[in-house]
Amino acid sequence: MNNYPEVVAKIANDYLERVKSQLRLVPAHERDEFLRELQSHLYEAYRQTPGEDDVGRILAVLRNLGDPAEVVSDRLPGAMVRSGTRRSLPLYVMGGILIALFGIPLGFGGVGVLVGLLFALAGIAIAYYATAGSILLAGAMSMLLGLTRMFLPHLWDNLVTLGYIQINGPPAELLDHLSASEQGLVMILFASALVASGLGMLRLGRYLLRGLRFLSSLAFDWMRRLAQSARGKLRRDNREGPRVGAVPFVNHGQ
Amino acid sequence: MEYSDEDRNRRITQLRKGILELAVMGVLYHERHYGYSLVRVLSESGSISLKEGTIYPILARLDRDGLVRSEWVESGQGPPRKYYALTSSGQQLFDELNQEFDLLVSLVQQKWKATEQSEPARKRLVVRKG
Repeated sequence: MNNYPEVVAKIANDYLERVKSQLRLVPAHERDEFLRELQSHLYEAYRQTPGEDDVGRILAVLRNLGDPAEVVSDRLPGAMVRSGTRRSLPLYVMGGILIALFGIPLGFGGVGVLVGLLFALAGIAIAYYATAGSILLAGAMSMLLGLTRMFLPHLWDNLVTLGYIQINGPPAELLDHLSASEQGLVMILFASALVASGLGMLRLGRYLLRGLRFLSSLAFDWMRRLAQSARGKLRRDNREGPRVGAVPFVNHGQ
Repeated sequence: MEYSDEDRNRRITQLRKGILELAVMGVLYHERHYGYSLVRVLSESGSISLKEGTIYPILARLDRDGLVRSEWVESGQGPPRKYYALTSSGQQLFDELNQEFDLLVSLVQQKWKATEQSEPARKRLVVRKG
């Protein structure tokens, strides 16, 4: 395998090392594969480049290939952006902000914190909808009372005598000044206000839900990426572990 | 000079990027190649000087999008080679892109004719737009 003179191997090796150091942010599996490919390229190109001078030949090969930074330039942003392309970018911006704010590490701990946040928000959402629901219920009840007062005054009087309806304090004093139908009207107005605010709360709740959905997709995304990297690690260990180490001229020049 | 060399080079690079990708697909349509042999074919058929390193990001992108498949093949001598070939979806896409490319080429060249000659060429341009 080692058809290179030692000097050539050293130069090629140095080049690959420089490429490697540029690829720190690329997943290890991808990086090793690319390095092997470059290595094959250097070998083939060197073999087919004419010339007596070994060093001159390998230098020409490297010149044609381009600086490590150039060779890598397209690859870096690609690898970094790739995971973001399928999902919306704001998700990642938000993720970055979360990390900046809470120092959430990108790992199981981070997912844990995120899941915690998720449950907290879910709790808030449930409480919110419970409140909205009871306001709506109260609205419906007072609407019913108002209608009873207006159209069924006898039933109303009976209910008051029986003690089912008790209105005390300032509202009662206010209502006493009014006629039966006016009392009903006031109650219906009050009920309408309650119903309206309940409906308003439901409407606003959409934003809360959206936030919840956003956070959960963030959590799922992180978990997916974690699982992916774990799977990649396993696969590499099984299949390619020994092979990557046996790079022909990485061992040769030293 | 209002237009610097740097700007010009940047534009040339930009222009080449997409077209080079198309050319790579064209070469891999019928034959499989490893990186260096692909570079050889491309630089033999055109007199364009290209930095060989640019081929790899293109191949990586095509691979990622499932347009090419790759496999490692032991070589008679030296390290194994990574061969690439267009997948069927890659071939299908190439056919479409190739047609689009023809349209674009004729668009660019029609423009030249339009300044020299007159109506017909321009008319066709308008038709194409609509």
